[in-house]
Amino acid sequence: MIASLLAAAGDWVAPTLDYHALAPEIILAAGIFAVLSIDLFLEPEQRWITSALSGFVMLGALVTVGTLAVIGDDTRSMFGGRYVSDEYALILKALFLVAGYIVVLMSSDEIERGRYHQGEYYVLLLTSVLGMVMMASSRDLLSIFVALELLSIPAYMLAAWNKRNSRGNEAGVKYYLLGVFASAITLYGMSLLYGVTGTTLLTDLGSAITANGRFSGVEVIAVAFIVVGFAFKISAVPFHQWAPDVYEGAPTPITAFLSVASKAAGFVALVTLTFVAFPNAEDVYQPFMWVLAALSMTIGNLYALRQTNIVRMLAYSSVSQGGFILMPLTVAGVDGVGESALKAVVVYLVVYAATNLGAFAVVIAVARKTRSGEISSYGGLFGYAPALGVLMTIFLASLAGIPPLGGWFAKFGAFKAVLDADTGWGYSIAIIAAINTVISAAYYITVMREIWMKDEPTGDTTPIRTPPSLGAALVITCGATIVLGVLPDIVGRFGDITDLTGALGR
Amino acid sequence: MLVNNFLLLGAVLFCIGVYGVIARKNAVMVLMSIELILNSVNLNFIAFSTLHGNIDGNTLALFIIGVAAAEVGVGLAMVLLIFRNRKSIALDELSEMKG
Amino acid sequence: MSQFLRDYLTVVWFGAIALVLGGLLLGVAALLRPNKPTAQKLIAYESGVDPVGDGWSQSQVRYYIFALLFVIFDIEAVFIFPWATQVERYGAFGLVVMLIFLILLLDGLAYAWKKGVLRWV
Repeated sequence: MIASLLAAAGDWVAPTLDYHALAPEIILAAGIFAVLSIDLFLEPEQRWITSALSGFVMLGALVTVGTLAVIGDDTRSMFGGRYVSDEYALILKALFLVAGYIVVLMSSDEIERGRYHQGEYYVLLLTSVLGMVMMASSRDLLSIFVALELLSIPAYMLAAWNKRNSRGNEAGVKYYLLGVFASAITLYGMSLLYGVTGTTLLTDLGSAITANGRFSGVEVIAVAFIVVGFAFKISAVPFHQWAPDVYEGAPTPITAFLSVASKAAGFVALVTLTFVAFPNAEDVYQPFMWVLAALSMTIGNLYALRQTNIVRMLAYSSVSQGGFILMPLTVAGVDGVGESALKAVVVYLVVYAATNLGAFAVVIAVARKTRSGEISSYGGLFGYAPALGVLMTIFLASLAGIPPLGGWFAKFGAFKAVLDADTGWGYSIAIIAAINTVISAAYYITVMREIWMKDEPTGDTTPIRTPPSLGAALVITCGATIVLGVLPDIVGRFGDITDLTGALGR
Repeated sequence: MLVNNFLLLGAVLFCIGVYGVIARKNAVMVLMSIELILNSVNLNFIAFSTLHGNIDGNTLALFIIGVAAAEVGVGLAMVLLIFRNRKSIALDELSEMKG
Repeated sequence: MSQFLRDYLTVVWFGAIALVLGGLLLGVAALLRPNKPTAQKLIAYESGVDPVGDGWSQSQVRYYIFALLFVIFDIEAVFIFPWATQVERYGAFGLVVMLIFLILLLDGLAYAWKKGVLRWV
């Protein structure tokens, strides 16, 4: 039977590989190989080499992303359009690589203190980043699936990193079981989608769905299953229960990685599918996105209000920020709004990544001294560590959306996209989002009040010594947060993404 | 064409798998239920591949088999880890963190 | 709201009625039935005999790592066999790609070897 299928496929021609377009992936893969092999022959006191090497691999891949953005054509397409390197892919690849680099900077001190399995830690981190980088380029159900698993499986292991600690175990098992279950659900949806259309290429899927002008029931079920599966990945309510527990149990650099990079990768898949594979299916996904966005914002915020642990608060805050990122997708199908919705999502992802990574870097720096994750332990932070106090205030203000920081510009773009749509769905979600912006300010300001107004609870006001790598992470994220707010045109220019929506000539 | 029967079997396996994930408390049973779902997906892909006469579905099924093995490897390692620390793999006892 | 979504209003109604009806019946039953739990009533029913043990026995944990290595390498054959049956068809390109795949796989084996998991202790 296979032979007859192969015969039907006709003569096989070797695909032409565009090595420049694949350079980031090749560098990452070679880096994984190198780190894994070198680590086997290192003495314990030389272990710092693995973290330095991983950092350089990320930067090397980032350089090639930069050259791709500057030199040559806008769109490089391989394997018959199944793997595409366009502006949308490049900006997201840059986001994942920078986020990965910052996580390496944040972990080098944290993981060295643990003293075990450093090499493996960085190999898993690099592998997960490779999966994300692939996800940005994937335009086929198969490559999306492989990229999804490549980024998830190392992330499960990283979440369970504190393996002697029962909270670490709990985090790993919860993340693993829900993640695998979600990807199985997504796959079932993909199999149905393949069944009704007979293709796995996203652009063909897009033109095949509703080719006869009306949805079949199978198409609706397929789209619903796929959206639900990715909703787990981006921890949208009601599929968010794993997020706070996993974020609390995992090592803090990994929490930052999961809440930013892994979440962004889920959004990337969702956005690619929405715009390329379901361009005519807005009737099906619009209500889903609306409900997910509204619930994520509201419930994430309400839970965040009553948290006393800073990591859990940031976890629920990231659930609610996820709702804001989903918001533009509710109007993605409205004529003429698609492009600004896409732009709003990408800009929001970039700004959110910078801000949230920064907030977690401060959490790591403060926990080095206080050994506590309670919000009350931030009392009087400004008194004895003014730099960290100011930085945390900047990051929280950006998350709350206070101008002129990056978070404000991101929220502005999201609101603009839904209001431009001029539909009932758009206006209603905008009202819910506006209310939630106010609620979210409450819990961000609680932490600021601790930092600026309260006294240090234990009376121990020795200054905090921040290791240089963590300091670098703080400088990069803070710089990005401020620059993106003051000069939003920078992302605006990169966010000029017509290729993806132009795929079907809309 | 017998494709309907394969799809029906796939749907039944999927439902049994989802039921198992939701109702079972033993971590290994949950893992096995997830494997059932993946197998139902494979069945669907291969049935559809034959129906449409193109090879894409078969390719995807091969990749799913490969990835499922990697997933199970990680999953069993985690089950082993919680068994070492707690002497039990009941999932409802894994609820230290709340709120 | 489009025609398509309006069609689904029926489903929403159906769901609402199902929820209300189910809740009503269960609620009435909970109010009316007597509730006298005893230890005997609460144990699992196993053909009338008291359940013994928890139904599963353990095997040596060291088998796990070998079983796992076997499964991983066994499954990778899934990618090698289709290539092997069509070597000529895929030519030099296929050979290079498969060699890269095998080298990455061997790196994993070398890792396992060096970490000492292949030794039976």
